[in-house]
Amino acid sequence: MHEISLVQELFAQLKELATANNATKIISVTMEIGPHCGVVVDSFQFGFDIISADDALVRGAKLIIEVPPVSYRCTNCRHVEVTTGGKPEECPACGELLLIADGGNDLMLRQVEME
Amino acid sequence: MCDTCGCPSPSDHNHDHHDHNHSQAHGHNHSKTVDVHASLFAANDALARVNREHFDEIGAVALNLISSPGSGKTTLLENTIEALKGEINIGVIEGDIETERDADRIRAKGVPVIQLTTGGACHLDAAMTHKGFHRLQKEPGGQDIELLFIENVGNLVCPATFDLGEHERVVLVSVPEGPDKPAKYPKAFTSSQTFVITKTDLLPYFDFPLAEATGDALRLNPHLRTMDLSSTTGTGMEKWLDYLRELVHKMRAKKNA
Repeated sequence: MHEISLVQELFAQLKELATANNATKIISVTMEIGPHCGVVVDSFQFGFDIISADDALVRGAKLIIEVPPVSYRCTNCRHVEVTTGGKPEECPACGELLLIADGGNDLMLRQVEME
Repeated sequence: MCDTCGCPSPSDHNHDHHDHNHSQAHGHNHSKTVDVHASLFAANDALARVNREHFDEIGAVALNLISSPGSGKTTLLENTIEALKGEINIGVIEGDIETERDADRIRAKGVPVIQLTTGGACHLDAAMTHKGFHRLQKEPGGQDIELLFIENVGNLVCPATFDLGEHERVVLVSVPEGPDKPAKYPKAFTSSQTFVITKTDLLPYFDFPLAEATGDALRLNPHLRTMDLSSTTGTGMEKWLDYLRELVHKMRAKKNA
């Protein structure tokens, strides 16, 4: 459950943003969770729920999660297949098994709504 | 209506929050939306870079060892220290949730070691590594380290996400764990440079096709260096030791350049 550490890092950033914007309440948080960043969306949501319950600034805030697409480049025919995360079993163009993933490695805080 | 900018007052709350880009200097409570573009890994990655620069500066090669609990990381380190005694100055940071046991085993081999107990956390991060290394440098022999092993918490999942500032990452799987680990825990293999299969003396007793495990790992990461060894019998140890020697020799050459 390393997601808890990452949620704690998120809350540290939210506190800074709230102070910088004179806000006392976070309403919603939009995160981009790359399919290859090693974070399980459900675990992140769970961590967010339990930590926000104890935090006056974030309590009741909505967590919006966006999953960016990942592209897979075929090492044989160079075909690029874009998916929402899952690796294709094989290259849909030529059947090659060795596909190199590109993107989906980051965990980004995109947008915060506060008041 | 707000007198200052004309936005709706908090009582008539059917406006679109997302259009609010004006100054936050209002004294009343309406919401505003701020676009951010901040990676949650940024703080860890920045400190990892600092660690790596520090290791470069003092000429120490840092390796981050990742595996499940019980794959034989500590035993491999004991044998490695023994084999490279007098040849390469080794230091070890041991990561575990609890106990000094692994550090005690390494200390008995006569090299500087410190134990990081995470108190429940399932992985090491760059900040723990940073503090740990400074403690290690205060140990006898800690100033001369050329090869630093950071033995991560036994876990094939969480440690893969955190850069510690290592030069290379080594993922280990032991024969009793089964050959399906690369397929099941891809991140540890896609983020590593070297894959070591341990406890190969047990191959006659387990269904562990070496080709399946290395093939799966190479499909995930074609650049992965692969090797298999047994700390007990010594089979395959030379390839591992040569890999370490090569890393250290390169670093020595860079330092003396």
